[in-house]
Amino acid sequence: MTDATKRDLLRHTVATLAYRGGKAVSNAPEGFNEFRLNDGTRTPAQILAHIGDLLDWALSIAKGKQTWHNSTPLPWDQETARFFTALESFDSYLASNEPLGAAEEKLFQGPIADALTHVGQIAMLRRIAGGPVKGENYYRAEIESGKVGPEQSTRRTEFD
Amino acid sequence: MEDRRKLLNHFLAALAYRTQKALREAPENFGSFRVNDGVRTPAELVRHMASVLGYARTFFVGGHYWPEPLASFDEEVERFHEMLGSLAQHLRNGDALLEGMTEERLLQGPFSDAMTHAGQLALLRRLAGAPVPPENFIVAEIREERLGPDQAKPISPDKVWPEAPDGWKP
Repeated sequence: MTDATKRDLLRHTVATLAYRGGKAVSNAPEGFNEFRLNDGTRTPAQILAHIGDLLDWALSIAKGKQTWHNSTPLPWDQETARFFTALESFDSYLASNEPLGAAEEKLFQGPIADALTHVGQIAMLRRIAGGPVKGENYYRAEIESGKVGPEQSTRRTEFD
Repeated sequence: MEDRRKLLNHFLAALAYRTQKALREAPENFGSFRVNDGVRTPAELVRHMASVLGYARTFFVGGHYWPEPLASFDEEVERFHEMLGSLAQHLRNGDALLEGMTEERLLQGPFSDAMTHAGQLALLRRLAGAPVPPENFIVAEIREERLGPDQAKPISPDKVWPEAPDGWKP
């Protein structure tokens, strides 16, 4: 096996992030973006903006010129669109033959794992806010490398 | 070890690192902290994380895995790390996957499930009034063979933390 295989699995992780992230942010209750449990916690809008920043950072690392930017949260629909756009940009780079500025392991353990943890946080806040995301057997989900946009499979094995 | 499995093992190591980061220096009784009805406590979350990884392991060994609650939070955490080690060993051994399971499906299912729950542990720390300090994870000392509760301290902790609790020092 070559490093291309590792890169393929990283792309699959990005597709997983698109699927799981898309599920966590869609059909959120009205006003969920500003939901705040206490002064020390981020709102869902802040978390989603941070995920967008992480994906931008991931792309910059992959291109070999690391940059970080703290963005101001956009309205929920726009921030959601930014999430998918950032995923598509990063995935397109991974799909190319361009060299990676860091090992796949580093890209995974940094921005991508971070983003997954934050998706989990949005899902938990959904539950606390009274608009839980349905559980699912994700291993059966139709997740495919390269499928990183808002249009995800609706054939799901969900739990009631 | 085959490359995809190497990356999966690295995934497990990152999970061990992030889980311990979320648990290190947690307040006493954090394991039973319940923010809301219907939301898992940290102890329940860690048991669930062991459960989903145990489910992943059934694709190597067959059968079912339903972990019973343990007497203490420390024991739950210990069992979680033991499960990480066991699962990693199957990956290292090159053991065959059963029932049509693939590396990709392990990743998208139970492995990613567990990672999202590690993030929830960190959120609960924040809600319990003891947030976890941020760091640059890309330089963190995460190694495939280091899967137990003894994880490295951050190499590059953030020097600026806008949401830091009173009294925090970098």
